[in-house]
Amino acid sequence: MFRSNNIVARIFQRQICTPAPGTSVHCARRFYENLVPSFTIYDVECPDHSFRKFTDDGQYLISFSRNNQDLIVYRPTWLSFSCKEEDCDAHDLPSKARRFESFFTQLYSVSLASCNEQICKDFFLYMDSNQYGIFATTSTVQSQEAPATGGAIPGFPSIEKITFHLLRLEDGVILDEKVFLNDFVNLVHNMGVFLYDDLLAIVSLRYQTVHILQIRDSGNLVDVRAIGAYCHEDDELFLNSNAQCMAFPDKSKLHQLPQNHVQNGLHHSQPNLEEFFLSGIKQRLLSFIFRRIWNEEKDRTLRVQCLKKKFYFHFQDYVDLIIWKVQFLDRHHLLIKFGSVEGVVQGARNADHYPAFFAVYNMETTEIVAFYQNSAEDLYHLFEQYCDHFHSTSRNSLYMNFISSHSNNIHALEQLRSIKNKASSSSQFVKKMLGSLPFSCQSQSPSPYFDQSLFRFDEKLISATDRHRQSTDHPIKFILRRPPYSLKFKIKLGPEAGSADGRTKKFSSFLFHPFLPLALSIQHTFLSSQPSVVNIHFRR
Amino acid sequence: MGSLFGDWPSFDPHNFSQLRPSDPSSPSRMTPATYHPTHSRTLPPPDQVITTDAKNILLRHIYQRAEEKDLRPKRAAPEHLVPEHGCKQPRASSSSC
Repeated sequence: MFRSNNIVARIFQRQICTPAPGTSVHCARRFYENLVPSFTIYDVECPDHSFRKFTDDGQYLISFSRNNQDLIVYRPTWLSFSCKEEDCDAHDLPSKARRFESFFTQLYSVSLASCNEQICKDFFLYMDSNQYGIFATTSTVQSQEAPATGGAIPGFPSIEKITFHLLRLEDGVILDEKVFLNDFVNLVHNMGVFLYDDLLAIVSLRYQTVHILQIRDSGNLVDVRAIGAYCHEDDELFLNSNAQCMAFPDKSKLHQLPQNHVQNGLHHSQPNLEEFFLSGIKQRLLSFIFRRIWNEEKDRTLRVQCLKKKFYFHFQDYVDLIIWKVQFLDRHHLLIKFGSVEGVVQGARNADHYPAFFAVYNMETTEIVAFYQNSAEDLYHLFEQYCDHFHSTSRNSLYMNFISSHSNNIHALEQLRSIKNKASSSSQFVKKMLGSLPFSCQSQSPSPYFDQSLFRFDEKLISATDRHRQSTDHPIKFILRRPPYSLKFKIKLGPEAGSADGRTKKFSSFLFHPFLPLALSIQHTFLSSQPSVVNIHFRR
Repeated sequence: MGSLFGDWPSFDPHNFSQLRPSDPSSPSRMTPATYHPTHSRTLPPPDQVITTDAKNILLRHIYQRAEEKDLRPKRAAPEHLVPEHGCKQPRASSSSC
């Protein structure tokens, strides 16, 4: 759209040319090719906090104190000095400007964790419509192998107390809290919690329940439903009121089409089952699999054989599946990942060895809509074409719709295709790609510098996903995607001198402001005694 | 100037000098061509209501596939059954069964 790379010429051209329909945001983002954070202040003197993230609307910088007890919130501002000389660019920055405080103003510091608790540094969710932030504190008392009592499944550690705090970030007032006792929620990188609009889904791995909460405008966390043992809100009431009518299931009914009511749940009456019924979500799952196999085969004898081979043979494996991770697809649908206990406990390390399944669950009708194995080509095609819809963002935050993914960006798609062509086995490739599902919430930065159609950069060294990466001495280059394909700016982690102790592994994390040409790069080692090095990259 | 555009500024005063203003009182001789249907086969049904599907496209595809699986018998015909929705995308081979 722009004929020249000069910013003044582009501004003039913007006055007279209308962008093509539907591309106004993309055209506006092209100005980021001209305004880049090319100047770096190395090793800024800053308070010794662990800086977590810029909020997605760019209003706040979230950081936690070193002892993980306090939350400190800053407002990103900008330098405010003026230069009265003739040729300002040649002058160096005044030393007063080279401070952390020139860029960030501290708004407040709130103590979230009491003495025997600590804030989970990896967890933070932001609701930009009301500027609410969600933080988590956990008690330091954890038992690794907790006994399976009270409906809990064995194999997971048990944290004595997990508290989710809802804060108004404007002034730091704690609005509400939600406490989970003797439970385990995976808080690392927001994995066990998903925020969609005003709905929050928290996966309790120990009790195998998905708690759905609503964040109201008044600042209250309201329980909406708990999916796991029960699906409908009144299932528990129904079961309790019919307790005396519960008889042993009639064996002859096992081959009939099961209804979607809890009392006719499909299960074997094994005397060693602790509870009489399988959990509600498990029953939905098993009956869905049964009906799907049933509907596919019209011939009666073949149908029974098919059932034996595909359903009854694997019945115990299906029963042993547990909820691993959950995300919203829209307000009514959840994408649930099921896996075996060993697979979940080991995490992503040995993903290939353990089975994993995905189910799409409708919370309103309490029906499973679809069920896929993690090597399903069907699901992979949906993932390839509609990846953006898996990154379900709330309707309010439009800027989150422009994060580059292989469904909306040709360069990202080419990268995906090249990985696909290099993959030795198609099912391994599909498993690897689907392993990233369900996506974690708010894990990608909306900064236009990560837009693949504007800049090319090494994805292994830096990317929109906020993860700690291994530090490199080489600067990370951002190169234009469009002619003249020039290097626009570099993110360098430290001045030329390498570290004295070459063996210390350094990790770096990058915090990019959502829309200002401002970025923080933080280099730290695992030794907590060494403070981290913070660099500020901005457009001078 | 008696041009159609009155006294509007123009690079060259002779531009648009050939155009004459149309007289608003007399009816225009040029009526635009209008087309009338010769049959009523394409009329919408009288009770038709057009609404937007609230489901996003991903969920719509997931539901479509689920319905197709319910409809089609196992390995019945070599060609795929045409789904009612007229979806044009080729279906991937199902390996989840």
